[in-house]
Amino acid sequence: MTITRKLGLAYTGLSTVSLLLVVWLAYHEFVVEPRELAQYGIRDLDRDSWPEVIVVLFLGLTPILLGLGWWWMNHVLRPLQTLTQVLERIDVQNLRQPLPRTMNGDEVDKLSAVFNAMLERLDESFHRIHAFSLSASHELKTPLTVMRAQLEDALHEKKEGADTFAEKAAEMAWLESQLDEVHRLSEIVESLMLLARSDNGLVPLERRAVKLGDLVREAVCDAEILAHAQQLAVHLISYEDLLIEGDRHRLRQLLLVLTENAAKYNYPRGRVDFALEKIGEMAELTITNTVQKEVSPNLDSLFDPFVRGENEFTQTDGCGLGLSIARWIVIAHGGSIQLSSDSARSFTVRIRLPLLS
Amino acid sequence: MRILIVEDNKKTATLIAKALKKEGFEVDQIHRGNEVLPALQQTTYNAVVLDVMLPGQDGLSVMRDLRAAGNSTPVLLLSARGDVNDRVEGLNAGAEDYLPKPFSLSELIARIRALGRRGKEARVLMLRVGDLELDAVTHTATRAGVKIELTPREFRLLKFLMRSSGRVCSRMMIFQKVWDYDFDPGTNLIDVYIRKLREKMDEGFEEKLLHSIRHEGYLLKSEREEEGEK
Repeated sequence: MTITRKLGLAYTGLSTVSLLLVVWLAYHEFVVEPRELAQYGIRDLDRDSWPEVIVVLFLGLTPILLGLGWWWMNHVLRPLQTLTQVLERIDVQNLRQPLPRTMNGDEVDKLSAVFNAMLERLDESFHRIHAFSLSASHELKTPLTVMRAQLEDALHEKKEGADTFAEKAAEMAWLESQLDEVHRLSEIVESLMLLARSDNGLVPLERRAVKLGDLVREAVCDAEILAHAQQLAVHLISYEDLLIEGDRHRLRQLLLVLTENAAKYNYPRGRVDFALEKIGEMAELTITNTVQKEVSPNLDSLFDPFVRGENEFTQTDGCGLGLSIARWIVIAHGGSIQLSSDSARSFTVRIRLPLLS
Repeated sequence: MRILIVEDNKKTATLIAKALKKEGFEVDQIHRGNEVLPALQQTTYNAVVLDVMLPGQDGLSVMRDLRAAGNSTPVLLLSARGDVNDRVEGLNAGAEDYLPKPFSLSELIARIRALGRRGKEARVLMLRVGDLELDAVTHTATRAGVKIELTPREFRLLKFLMRSSGRVCSRMMIFQKVWDYDFDPGTNLIDVYIRKLREKMDEGFEEKLLHSIRHEGYLLKSEREEEGEK
């Protein structure tokens, strides 16, 4: 029960009781008493009734005062309601936005001041963390660039060199494997940077009309190609031409992450089904695929960075950031993403994105 | 071709210079942003490789000054920030191309070569590499007169490779031009597409036109044609 409701009930109760008292008193004073007195032949008017009138009138003020009290309380608590509404809207992105102050020095105003100071400190530490991840990934890129260039250079020299074939092959394989690792590191740094920037609201999205249907058809084509090696059956079960507003590059990235996952965690001759439908004001895309390893019961943990599934048939060499990025893209487009698994061998990603109105 | 490298990290600059020299380019390097304009006024370069984060003056503002001064030397921007916005900002400032760090040297070389050719590429509608022909109007491709059945994406991929025939195309360039991706998706999608394409256009022919170059990308070329040119 909120404070407002508690006080409201108390005020209503008190007002009712005092109103009943006043009515009873007035009835007794001005109706019952004169009648009784009349029985004894005394006319009420002869009596000096002014004090009684004043008492009744004074008591009659009580409900009015209580009403005024109720209004005053609401007035005083209103900043608290505003405060609650503003606080509800606060997240990492808008910590900087200060809470409204009345500057009248009351308790609510002091509370706002304390909250503002706290938000400022939070904002500062968030910024420090983000600045750290940004500059860390930025700093990592310089040595990575050098390493990559040096390895490529060494590889090139080895290729042209005068060593025997066997020596060459072994050393080149070593260099190539180093180069692969550097490449992988670069990808992780890149994805981390994207996530750090997106958390900080630093990745602005393009807002344009995008034909989601076309993007899904492209994704199905890509899936067919990716599925070829494992002979997966790819189907587009339902399809509609749906228009949404968003960033086509990011939406493509989203579809590619999901398509790749659907192929990667599948088993030979498995299935991948795509369906794009209109559900109310939303476009709903579902991608269902058979999975080789039983899906972990804690599906939502798959959204966390560096968590990835296992599969023994295909090499799962991702860095475990795909679904984190996918979720960011969906949420940034005002949509929702859900993972589900209706049996141990099937996995479904359901995405809803608002249609362009 | 004479190239100017502007990069504050001397190790990186030297490695780039070494790789470019090996490819037959003439190379000069400087390490500060404010040295770019004087250098370009003194010498004529065919292309500039410009880092965005530079001491003295940052790359983007150098870029703007350069274009404001009426200099139209093609510029390839290098950036460690690797954000789509940086790319857009760089291209808006007048850069011809953008490469996020860490890049591969072969990628850089492929792009510098492409810079040199920019402008010379007319929108040819009939492309030919050896006995492989592609008609951009009727959307058909033939090898030795026999029609090759291609999906729309395979067709776009082949068209891009034929337009850049004789030059190595990196995966990233293909992703940008054929898939319209603005990021490196880090997948083997292209390799699978290339394999498919190769099955369709090279299988059964004596001369293979489509070549994979490990760690670099793909190359479409006909040896016979080159001999003919010589």
